[in-house]
Amino acid sequence: MLFNSYPFILLFLPLVLAGYFWLGRRSNLAPVIWLALASIAFYAIGSWQFVALLLLSIAFNYGIGHLLIVAKLGPSPRKAALALGVAGDLLVLGIFKYAGFATENVNALLGTHFALHILLPVGISFYTFTQIAFLVDAYRGQVAAYALPHYALFVTYFPHLIAGPILHHKDMIPQFEREETKRPDGHLILCGVIIFAIGLFKKTCLADGIQPLVALAFDARSPSFDQAWCGALAYAFQLYFDFSGYSDMAIGISLMFGIFLPVNFNSPYKATSIVEFWRRWHMTLSQFLRDYLYIPLGGNRHGRVLRYVNLLITMLLGGLWHGAAWTFVVWGALHGAYLCVNHAFNALVPTIPSALARPARIGGTVLTFLAVVVAWVFFRAASVEWALRVLQAMADPSHIVFGREEIAALVMIAVYAALVWLAPNTQTLLGYDHANRRVGENLRAGRMRPLFLYGASLVLAFGILGIQSHSEFIYFRF
Amino acid sequence: MRATFTSLKRLLLASIAFLLGAAGLTYVIDPLQLFRPSRSAFYSDDTRVQNAGLIRSQSFDTAFMGTSLAIHFRQSDIDRALGVRSLKLAMTGSNSRQQAFVLEQAIARGARRVIWEMDDFIFVDAADIEADPYLSVDLYRRTPKGIASYLFSAAMAKESLFALLRSVPPLQVPLTRAAPYLPVKFALADVDDIYALPRDVDVAREYNASKTLASFAYITAPSRSRFLGEGYGYQAMVRNFEQDAVSLIARYPDVTFDIYFPPYSILQFVAMRDASPGTLKIVSDLTAVIAERLTQRPNVRLHDFRAIKVVTQDLNNYGDVIHHSPVVDGMVLKWLASGEYRVDPKAPLTSLDELKAQVEVYRVPGLP
Repeated sequence: MLFNSYPFILLFLPLVLAGYFWLGRRSNLAPVIWLALASIAFYAIGSWQFVALLLLSIAFNYGIGHLLIVAKLGPSPRKAALALGVAGDLLVLGIFKYAGFATENVNALLGTHFALHILLPVGISFYTFTQIAFLVDAYRGQVAAYALPHYALFVTYFPHLIAGPILHHKDMIPQFEREETKRPDGHLILCGVIIFAIGLFKKTCLADGIQPLVALAFDARSPSFDQAWCGALAYAFQLYFDFSGYSDMAIGISLMFGIFLPVNFNSPYKATSIVEFWRRWHMTLSQFLRDYLYIPLGGNRHGRVLRYVNLLITMLLGGLWHGAAWTFVVWGALHGAYLCVNHAFNALVPTIPSALARPARIGGTVLTFLAVVVAWVFFRAASVEWALRVLQAMADPSHIVFGREEIAALVMIAVYAALVWLAPNTQTLLGYDHANRRVGENLRAGRMRPLFLYGASLVLAFGILGIQSHSEFIYFRF
Repeated sequence: MRATFTSLKRLLLASIAFLLGAAGLTYVIDPLQLFRPSRSAFYSDDTRVQNAGLIRSQSFDTAFMGTSLAIHFRQSDIDRALGVRSLKLAMTGSNSRQQAFVLEQAIARGARRVIWEMDDFIFVDAADIEADPYLSVDLYRRTPKGIASYLFSAAMAKESLFALLRSVPPLQVPLTRAAPYLPVKFALADVDDIYALPRDVDVAREYNASKTLASFAYITAPSRSRFLGEGYGYQAMVRNFEQDAVSLIARYPDVTFDIYFPPYSILQFVAMRDASPGTLKIVSDLTAVIAERLTQRPNVRLHDFRAIKVVTQDLNNYGDVIHHSPVVDGMVLKWLASGEYRVDPKAPLTSLDELKAQVEVYRVPGLP
């Protein structure tokens, strides 16, 4: 089921909200079970064939978690239990996500013709990573014993299940356990609706609105210089608003239930360096890769060279996490290389004088954005060869069309660029403070009404008017 | 607490009011002319949507259908050359199912003659028309769902708002001039301009032998040649031809169908010959079936322009291996009017055999 669909907005969400708060008047546990069941129903509506896999994954990880938290095992059995849990998760992920890719490569290398057609279960990357983090923390002794309904809800919680953010048990389960969240809070619901409206508008009007321009570069056999740039920039903005929209919607929906989700997206194109970009883009994935991959690999503790190797490995795996294809490997490798260059630059170049700080920041933002756009070309292209063709066109100003269509595309891209770089992001606009569980204090104090309220209703109306029957989120594929 | 619930109620009610307001605006402006023809209408290049309104709002006796090979024709040229009142409905990249569906709507609205540019690749694959995400049957049929999707649409509300602004006298001229360069869909003031090339297009720059040869080299490169026959399957293509073309023609015996095979450059077939001979065989076999089946229908006139050497072997007529220049558009209309290359029902394969012979002996300039 899609957030940007009429059945979800008009039926599913109001029904689940009503049931949650109605049960909340009677019990503290029943709403949790209700929400977990609703989440499974949400998943089943779009991907019924993978519900069993999701439930098995929950049962398996909860069982391993039980061994690590409750059973008093010695060090070796604990290590074995963790290894079994992580290996089991990675095996399932490997089979469903990477077996086809591996087979293709074996065929290409050995000239064989093995055929493997395995459907990718929606959201498998997200719920697998969520649970691996849980197991590792349980092994480290950082997890208290949780009841099964709370654990099941933590994994399946529908605002995040399909496309993130990647949740952390320490952040979520205590919120599910609190009694206060089961009582409707008008302020949180209002803020949730507004954040959801902004996210919906970003998705249906902005991301879907610019999507047709992407074809200029990626569907054309030989795009011109301007077409390739327009298409690549259009994709950069489409992905930005698509993902940002989804993240906002997830936060907004969750807020209606009184639950604060972590911020996943913080105006990443405003980053002045690639290091900062990764602190602003898909923030929960970056944190996961840092805490459960980069640091266990050794991080920056074993010298500069190994640090760069660790960065490259982390980003290569981060690329593969996004998809089983060489284009994602190249994308990850590029970002790994960017990060290495960025760290080397920081180590070698002395502090910039304050007079040059502003131009340096602007230059850094432009350079970072261009580097990111080049990497997006691989992320979007159907093959490495196709990506190189688009990049070649972007580097060849001798072939320019600049017709009616291209001029209109440029105007549109300029509007999107202005929104990206000049408009405040949702969390700033609403004062969303995940750590302190605060949102919309200005709204509560009456400093933003009524113009803000009518602006929000216009945004919600346009978000609903923009709903199209065929518009999935890009991150659904991961 | 009560105040925030009041705010929430106000927000939701205001949203409903905005939704209804946007729908009302679209209904009044009606950019697609789905409800009523308009003298001050503007048109869009998005033909899969635009056609639904054109069929409703224009008066015509002839429907002109095709793919990107027929998209640049101007209705006024068709009318002048053939003495008809035409409606161009060509859609780039369209398949036979979409074309047949749109043609059927046009016939139901009064088309007595159909001119149909027919490519072999339109029969490759076709989603069920009822579930086709790229063509809304509900919009064409004006079902409640189709009308709702038209009225409750942010894209249409944006177009309506722009049209409203454009109707304000001081803004009229500048906005009309700027519209084609702005990200609005309904930007063309003349129905004749839908997807037509600008009148001052530099034909020699856009269509020339070097572009055609470069395109040939590109599609026949070993890494890409497999795309030449992508999706081609003889049985499925014949089935689609029967289901979409033959059954439509049979359902409307009182409508005359002028169907033509467009004058691709010979390099289209040579590319298949050199890089994908299996595809060439499928294309030949399929067009033989088409020729034999269509020439037997009393209401069909089949024209085959693929073996006219003077055009198809002059590579300066093309922008790539298949798309011809507007000069050739003019020739196509002339040939259709004269019936010069009409396929003889008694010898339906003559022109195909001629084409095969040409393809067999043709040597690409610059290649040994």
